[in-house]
Amino acid sequence: MLVAICQLGYNRGAFFRSENFETAIMKALLIVITTMALLLIAGGTYAAGDPAAGKTKAEACLGCHGVPNYANVYPQYRVPKLAGQRPEYIVAALVDYQAGQREHGTMQANATTLSDQDMQDIAAFMSTAGEDKQ
Amino acid sequence: MKTTINAALIVMTLGITANPLFAAGNIEAGKAKSVTCVACHGVDGRSTMPAVPGMVVPHIAGQYADYLEKSLQDYRSGKRKNASMSGMAAGLSDQDIADLASYYASLDGLKVVKRRP
Repeated sequence: MLVAICQLGYNRGAFFRSENFETAIMKALLIVITTMALLLIAGGTYAAGDPAAGKTKAEACLGCHGVPNYANVYPQYRVPKLAGQRPEYIVAALVDYQAGQREHGTMQANATTLSDQDMQDIAAFMSTAGEDKQ
Repeated sequence: MKTTINAALIVMTLGITANPLFAAGNIEAGKAKSVTCVACHGVDGRSTMPAVPGMVVPHIAGQYADYLEKSLQDYRSGKRKNASMSGMAAGLSDQDIADLASYYASLDGLKVVKRRP
């Protein structure tokens, strides 16, 4: 019995000293690092939007945002320019409208049905669709 | 009589041109008042602050003055809420808001999205 345990212990020791053990550790480390990196990316930034998909989805938006000097009827101020805006800001605005945290009848209505991906795509299109760039 | 007519015309003209919501802004005065805005919105109205969920600082250079004015008024009144901007706008007068809006609108930056390529 004692011999068997000692033998097992010796064998384990051999495993810990072996190249297999090193490989196993490296693999484990790689998995941990990759997971952490993915978590960082997912938590720290925004999903990438597709400007081409956004162009189709933004058709309704352009009825106001694509018309120079287009103004809200009341109160009288112009709808903001969006070309060149940071996509993250456009997404944040849409999220706030959808959640009812930012008030504007038309924008709240328009944001209601948008998915997260829709918002990303629209923002990607709007931010890059400047007068000079097309 | 002539004076009365002139006075009436002046009043009518003012009534048509003056938008009760927005004061006339002064670009130079706005530039002088923009020193605190610079920290987040950048020296040229283009923010270089990293986008953090809950606080994404927009570019404001070239934005319409009346939109910027409306935004600041809404932050000041509490209609629009933002941890930073609510505090920043709280101390601004109507004239400050008009000046800042005129200044940032005068900078080169944002454009209208082009409808058709």
